[in-house]
Amino acid sequence: MNAAAWTCLLLPLASAVAITIAGTRIPRRTAAYISTATTMGAFAAAVYAFVVMLGESPEQRAHATTSWTWLSAGAYHFGVTLLTDQLSIMMMLIVSGVGSLIVAYSVGYMDGEDEERRYFAYMSLFVFSMLLLVQGGNLLLLLAGWGMVGLSSYLLIGFYQERASAIAAAKKAFVMNAFGDATMALALFLLIQHTGRLDYAGVFAHSPHGGAIANLIALGLLGGALAKSAQLPLHTWLPDAMEGPTPVSALIHAATMVTAGVYLIARCHTLFENAYVVRDLAAGLGAATLLMAGLIALVQTDIKRVIAYSTMSQIGYMFVGVGVGAYPNGMFHLMTHAFFKALLFLGAGIAIHAVVGEQDIRKLAGVGKLMPFTKIVFLIGSLALVGIFPFSGFFSKDSILASALAAGWYGQVLFAAGMVGALLTGIYAFRLYFIVFTGEPSAFAREHFHKHHGQEGPLSMRWTVALLAVLAAVAGWLQFAPLWHPLTTWLAPVAAPTVEPTNTQEWVTSILGVAIGLAGIAIAWAMYSAKRIKVPKPVTLFERKFYWDELYDALFYRGGELVTQAFSSLVEKPLIAGSLSAVTGAFGLGSRELGLAQNGLVRSYALALTSGIAVLAVVFLAAR
Amino acid sequence: MRGPDIQWYVVLSALLFTTGALGVLLRRSPLIILLSVEIMLNSANLLLIAFSRLHGREDGQIFAISVMAVAASEVVVGLGLIVALGRRHIELDVDKLRTLRG
Repeated sequence: MNAAAWTCLLLPLASAVAITIAGTRIPRRTAAYISTATTMGAFAAAVYAFVVMLGESPEQRAHATTSWTWLSAGAYHFGVTLLTDQLSIMMMLIVSGVGSLIVAYSVGYMDGEDEERRYFAYMSLFVFSMLLLVQGGNLLLLLAGWGMVGLSSYLLIGFYQERASAIAAAKKAFVMNAFGDATMALALFLLIQHTGRLDYAGVFAHSPHGGAIANLIALGLLGGALAKSAQLPLHTWLPDAMEGPTPVSALIHAATMVTAGVYLIARCHTLFENAYVVRDLAAGLGAATLLMAGLIALVQTDIKRVIAYSTMSQIGYMFVGVGVGAYPNGMFHLMTHAFFKALLFLGAGIAIHAVVGEQDIRKLAGVGKLMPFTKIVFLIGSLALVGIFPFSGFFSKDSILASALAAGWYGQVLFAAGMVGALLTGIYAFRLYFIVFTGEPSAFAREHFHKHHGQEGPLSMRWTVALLAVLAAVAGWLQFAPLWHPLTTWLAPVAAPTVEPTNTQEWVTSILGVAIGLAGIAIAWAMYSAKRIKVPKPVTLFERKFYWDELYDALFYRGGELVTQAFSSLVEKPLIAGSLSAVTGAFGLGSRELGLAQNGLVRSYALALTSGIAVLAVVFLAAR
Repeated sequence: MRGPDIQWYVVLSALLFTTGALGVLLRRSPLIILLSVEIMLNSANLLLIAFSRLHGREDGQIFAISVMAVAASEVVVGLGLIVALGRRHIELDVDKLRTLRG
């Protein structure tokens, strides 16, 4: 069990190190295969651990293993501890499983890229960091993983380093994530101060209940979760992060890293239950994000950005779920979302790959007619995203909304927001589908479409997408809250829900959810396929993404500029530069004056010498 | 001990030193200045040997020989410079050789 956990964690690290050290001595293809094989090996180890865990009784499923004491400071000792329990094994399976599929897909997608080796080294580094995040047995290792996924995300967003926009996007993502890391670190300081430890069990048992400290701790953790999961108000980096290669968007910015915030809240739910206000805040921000991202997604024209806003919106649902206390439902949606959103990204990736890297949906329009396979998988992904029975999104999204309905008046407000969000999801998802995958191909698509050996894409891209399509279609059947709920039972010892929706609430939500989703699809169909309704002019507010970038620019960039200019004109120039130039001026003047004595007349030097000695002689004689 | 008393040596040495120093201060030809410097050095040598003889010890004589060796080397360099200046048809006048002016 513990050996499997270590194998799972260290295989991707070994791959990253091996590819880095081997450098150009191995062919590019070999690097791709090493990365794929090790990620699959990690998945196999996770499956093994899961099977072993299935055979144990629910109370004995948590396994902690410490390899050595990492940090000792006074009375505090923090070990390199892996915790394998019901929650982390679920995340391990998702990360390494979806990760294997996406890395395998990259073999085809990145083929011919000049820096394939660098790409696969980064991918392995990311998988390792993400596994460290979910497997770490204390908050310190979690924070280490938290920072390292931010680093690998930065490296991969900026992978096309010759593009200035990619570099800018990478920096933006890094800075916003670093802000979240900082608030998390502050929360950990408070925890150390008040409990003296950072291992999960100890922290949960000793942390304060209620009060300012508990709120501050939860708020700090929430700050990290908001930044990593691109929720309001720390969300602006995610759409820009689409500058990275498409498989990176699928793995990091859809399936795994951005959902880490949900994992964090589910993992530390005790801390959030000690601070109910902050947990409500998380749910409220999730609801606000899901609405805002849905509205922005309606008018975006870049296929990857639409999906990125959809990701923000879906993570908003997860935040609502864990924010009202339905932790298993939030984690369930995290899992199904990993499947269908990776599917959507990878499907879009096939289309982008086939049309010379074009991402504008107006130019891609109608390309689906040339790509029947991609069209079908994208349809499956879209249906799962909207939550239409029997696809996976239906099961997970509706169970979140049912839990919200059971959580008092606040929950009912969130429920209403979620339902509006479902309508928006239907419209934007099928706007994308109808424009890109139905109708006559545009002139651009016809001209630039090219097949790969008679297929829509390389084999490695097709089988992975097909497998994800199957998962996106059927994974939801794992749990259907009114009738069977193995996942909730499985997670109960780690993260038991604090709300129990009644069966009536479940059924009402399910029927309403599907009806609203279908209504959204119908609107999209009428606008973009049948063209019965005239498409309204895009709202500028949505096109400019609610002016968040402009706001941050005005607040922080311009503000920072003002402060630095003030310091420059008030402190730097008069005080620092002024005092230095006074010193240099004094030396300059002094040396010019002294230089006059150096007149080049040897005889005057001799006179100075002799008269000096004469004076000295007189002085010594007089002193006797 | 034979010969004049120590005072005579000191007076002679002082006269020699003054002659040399005045030569250095007043003459403008580098050749003469070099010669005057030699006179100053030798006045010091004369004192060293005179006192060595007065005290009956050899270290003053050793110093004098060292000074001679150093003076010989210095003359080699100095005369070399003066010959180089002469070959370039530069006027041999220390008041005009002022390129090291600050």
